[in-house]
Amino acid sequence: MKGLYAAMALVGLLLGLMVALQFRMTRDIAQSVPVQRAQELIARLAAVREEREALEARVSILRQQLDAVTAQPELTVLRRELEQARILAGVVEVKGPGVEVTLNDSNQPVQPGQNPNLYVLHDEDVLKVLNELRAAGAEALAINGQRLGPTSEIRCVGPTILTNKNKRLVPPFVITAIGNPDTMISALRMRGGVVETLQVWGIQVTIRKLNEVTIPAGVAPVKFEFAQPVTS
Amino acid sequence: MSRYLSITAVALVLGVMVVQQFRITGYQSAHGTPADRAQELTVELKQLEKERADLAAEVEDLERKLAQARMGYSQAAEALRTEITKLRLLAGLEPVRGKGVEVVVVPRQGTGVFTVRDEDLLRIVNELRGAGAEALAINGQRLIATSEIRTSGAHITVNLIPVAAPYRILAIGNPEYMKNTLEMRGGVVETLREWGIDIAVFTREDLTIPGYQGKTSFEYARTS
Repeated sequence: MKGLYAAMALVGLLLGLMVALQFRMTRDIAQSVPVQRAQELIARLAAVREEREALEARVSILRQQLDAVTAQPELTVLRRELEQARILAGVVEVKGPGVEVTLNDSNQPVQPGQNPNLYVLHDEDVLKVLNELRAAGAEALAINGQRLGPTSEIRCVGPTILTNKNKRLVPPFVITAIGNPDTMISALRMRGGVVETLQVWGIQVTIRKLNEVTIPAGVAPVKFEFAQPVTS
Repeated sequence: MSRYLSITAVALVLGVMVVQQFRITGYQSAHGTPADRAQELTVELKQLEKERADLAAEVEDLERKLAQARMGYSQAAEALRTEITKLRLLAGLEPVRGKGVEVVVVPRQGTGVFTVRDEDLLRIVNELRGAGAEALAINGQRLIATSEIRTSGAHITVNLIPVAAPYRILAIGNPEYMKNTLEMRGGVVETLREWGIDIAVFTREDLTIPGYQGKTSFEYARTS
């Protein structure tokens, strides 16, 4: 009988130790330096993002004010030239007829022994669709609302796409393009073209013709760090 | 009998707790160390801070032009002209110079699957963009937001102009970073070499890249 109590006391002690350890582990995870650091960074990110947005709004107001101040009829030619430069630089929202192309991973079941990676969307697939739209005369392009400019990259990271350096997009990926809808659609659907190639791998492609597409303004008009204007 | 029962109960609880403990420890190692997240967040923060600085400079620039435009007709015209030049520079319509890299791509003898294709050039350009290239050109054709790189018949066209091998891609930006990105293990240079394409990356101290010369009018896009 005495032995039993001793055994039970021992078990109880062990149990108590484990409960304590358990509590400490859970608390430690929340308070460990990496987690605290990440939380600190998240807070700073939110603050900088807010400031960035405020500046973005200010820039757009200043542009409108510049338009208002230069509204004299004598300046019409220059103002039109400015409008065109803004579209080309991607700093204003544009509208027009166009297409919407939605891309999604394969819905085919992967056979055992096959490489499942062949059936997911790759950077190159998105690049090829964009390239085909450009070749078909697209005048402005965006993916998931991110305007694509002269230096925009498409990088697949796991299931997400990174573009414009730090903008993370999640599937489904929706590409919008302004231009001649029929030309763009027939270019995509051409025999042996990009849509057919993607369908070999089961990538789901949906194309919609739209009478009006809105493509948002791009990210901050970056200042070049390396490229200098050539003064002739 | 009841004492065996209580011991069993205690042992059961103990077992559950041990499993729980293992699962927590396992979760931590399986789901990536939080340090990676901090690193990722730091990269994001750095980019956002750069964008904030760029925007602050843009606000200052526009405020100056606005003040200038309010002074009178000729000042207003001058403000518009400098604003147009600034945007044309960003859009890739003006020539620029600076340091960067030159990538030379030469197909080997014979044709077939392993000749240089439009998608190979697209990949190189995409990698360079990801590595921060500010201006790009292929065989003298400046790449802007709407430039295509596409096989059309026997040629590859860029800005609707046919370009032929050897392909010479120029990129202005951080030379070492762009070169390292392309030459990374398992990167685009290694892959293309395996396919029998000769590709070489040179860092250059001073490159000049022409402005886009094609059509700049819009038929479909309009500002609201």
